[in-house]
Amino acid sequence: MSVFSEYKDCIAEGDLVLVWISRDNIKPIKVDSNEVFNTRYGSFPHEMMIGKPYGSQIAIRTKGTNKFAFIHVLQPTPELWTLSLPHRTQIVYTPDSSYIMERLNCSPRTRAVEAGTGSGSFSHAFARTVGHLYSYEFHQPRYEEALREFKEHGLVDIDKNVTITHRDVCRDGFRIRNGDVTSHLFGENETEVAVGADVVFLDLPAPWDAIPHLEDVISKDEKVGLCCFSPCIEQVDKTIEVLNRYGWSDLQMVEIQGKQFESRRQMVRTLDDAIERLRDVKRRKNEGLERRKRMCDSLLNDQPEADETVEKRPITEKTKFNPFGKGARVKEGDANYKWKQVTKVEPEIKSHTSYLTFAFKVANQIRNEEAIQRILESSESK
Amino acid sequence: MDPLKQLAFDQHVILRLPSGNRKIVQLKPNSSISLGKFGAFHVNDIVGYPLGTTFEIYYDGTHEPDLKNQNRIPVGKIRLLSRTENETGEREQSPLPAELANVLSSANNQKLVNLGNDVQGLSMAQIEDLKNQTASGEEIIAKMIENHGSFDKKTVYSQEKYLKRKKQKFSKFFTAEYLSSSAMLQFLLEKGDVQRVMDMSQESLGMLLNLANIRSNGTYLCVDETGGLLVYFLLERMFGGASEAGATAIGGGTIVVVHENEHPNLDLLKFSNYPESFLKDHIKTVSLLDFFEPPSSQQVEAAFTPLPKDQVRSLKAGKKNAYYRRLKWYNNQRQIITLANETEYDALVIASTLHLPQLVQRLSTRVHGSRPVVCYSQYKETLLELAHALYDDLRFLAPTILETRCRPYQTVRGKLHPLMTMHGGGGYLLWAHRVIPAAEPAI
Repeated sequence: MSVFSEYKDCIAEGDLVLVWISRDNIKPIKVDSNEVFNTRYGSFPHEMMIGKPYGSQIAIRTKGTNKFAFIHVLQPTPELWTLSLPHRTQIVYTPDSSYIMERLNCSPRTRAVEAGTGSGSFSHAFARTVGHLYSYEFHQPRYEEALREFKEHGLVDIDKNVTITHRDVCRDGFRIRNGDVTSHLFGENETEVAVGADVVFLDLPAPWDAIPHLEDVISKDEKVGLCCFSPCIEQVDKTIEVLNRYGWSDLQMVEIQGKQFESRRQMVRTLDDAIERLRDVKRRKNEGLERRKRMCDSLLNDQPEADETVEKRPITEKTKFNPFGKGARVKEGDANYKWKQVTKVEPEIKSHTSYLTFAFKVANQIRNEEAIQRILESSESK
Repeated sequence: MDPLKQLAFDQHVILRLPSGNRKIVQLKPNSSISLGKFGAFHVNDIVGYPLGTTFEIYYDGTHEPDLKNQNRIPVGKIRLLSRTENETGEREQSPLPAELANVLSSANNQKLVNLGNDVQGLSMAQIEDLKNQTASGEEIIAKMIENHGSFDKKTVYSQEKYLKRKKQKFSKFFTAEYLSSSAMLQFLLEKGDVQRVMDMSQESLGMLLNLANIRSNGTYLCVDETGGLLVYFLLERMFGGASEAGATAIGGGTIVVVHENEHPNLDLLKFSNYPESFLKDHIKTVSLLDFFEPPSSQQVEAAFTPLPKDQVRSLKAGKKNAYYRRLKWYNNQRQIITLANETEYDALVIASTLHLPQLVQRLSTRVHGSRPVVCYSQYKETLLELAHALYDDLRFLAPTILETRCRPYQTVRGKLHPLMTMHGGGGYLLWAHRVIPAAEPAI
């Protein structure tokens, strides 16, 4: 089983692991005992990871500054891979891909078609869940890159549930025949792959050119679900036209909006404390005023006997009433203050990824009358 | 016949009606199913067709009236709704629906005056009569348009809306769909069980399954307060149904359900089409008390010792029963010990209203490193509290609160726009990874 399909216990030489440095810095590495993983916080010899359980924190003290630095070593999952992967194209993010998979009811029984492969983000999520994925990519360098990556991740040779084919599906359709540029290894008498897809995902600029070709590869005796992923509403309009023409029904277009929240704290600052603080300021101000008045008065009256009673400059108490830590640097969550837990939406949200147009089709709406009769008769005889 | 592809006898399916409502039914052989004003049909007439097929109920006047019960809906005949007719008005409308091809329309509604019911020439009684003659939906609608006083004053858009409304009321077709986890959720939401399903949405649950990396070969620890809906989502994602009784699961994974009452509540699984034995093999249940305070091996072994097989065979009938009862208890106790002390889980998945920081932190001790912890809640605030607690706990990496919302559109060419209203709920998710903190390295 591959690193993506097996639940591994401990990190071993040669494993593909994801090094979590921070939320937006996750790096895939291949564990090699002779290698060192360098970050700007310090260097981590791979040797330190080998034999440790997945999820382990690896901690070092940096040589120069003698600071504590650490990373976490994780086993890849499609969702973590999506966060770390090298972008070859715009990718399909988890809020969209997870919705599509649920809406099309993906499971190990699913046979899925995906075009194009792109950066392979969605391919990994599909491969984790479905029985078989047929992925198509028309751009030659991207095809080769994705093929290399899928092989490295064990999806093609080990799990054997991903087939990737170099193809412009809009022009040449989806059939995979012996002699085509594909990862499929043909058997001796095999001339064409029996795709029989019940789930189709089209992430193409012109899905309407590909839709007519789907007839060749979709399953005929069951309901087939389709999703087109298009950023522009004009594409959706054209897609609907073609879907209607080719007998797809139950059309619905939706948009998915995903958001992340930061968990933060806001200081609880009560009105009473604010008033009390002002009162305190006022009291001190008055004290000062009165003192000045008395000093003034004694000067004006020129009363020498006052010498003994002349007020010494009072020592101003350093910390007066300061409930909110004004002037000091207060860390969020400082235990000396009261805090309210709050959420803050991430500073930049993906306000539009693409429109998802869903459609469904049952090609052969027929039944085997004899089989039904047989079942009924056998149940009667019981 | 494959019950995952075709309508099969004894299967639970979900029917979509012209009104947009759904109904869960079991396809018992030789029985009939009534859909109220949308008619009734014989189960035998639809079994064998692919799941997702749309049928029309029609009456050709040959049905026998039920003399005992006049109100009973007569059972009609079934035919496939041909594809050109398979348009509910929500779909393609250019060119115009056939019903509107020969009627006049207005460029605007300037001359349209609201007369209420009087504008319809047919009286309520006349329409009822038509229905009793079991005229087809199309015939009734055609008659109503014919007798409508100001139909020609409506714009074509308004006519289409009228047609759609009347079709929802008078058409007699239905679609028999596979009862997926999402379909069950949809059904419960529409039925008004929003509180029971904790206001979940398809998009939130889909995201939960992906973030928790649910696969067919994992062992998952789960708390499900929805009566089995969350467990059904996991099951469907892991196995995608069981095609026949005694079928073995792909991957062989297990869901361990920890429950707060003495007995687990997974009632909704009775609608699922998994055989009893399959559910028993892949779902284990443990109460919170047993999970956190499992019996000791010594206690269990001291209380009972299984006998060799030949010795069991020689037991008398009464004694044998007692023996098997004890054996069942014994095996159950041993299972509890394994699940509570030994199993390292591949994900923790929670939908519960228990105080989350304590629940998640305590259950997570049994979760393997690098595995996801995903918690669903109807409220962001409870997850916020959890997120802060997990931030301070070095066993959790990057707790994140997420929201996902689906915005559906009216999907008609030239008239694409978001629907005017939609379901407002959907809840929130917290996603973190279980990690193993390292001791601070010595200098």
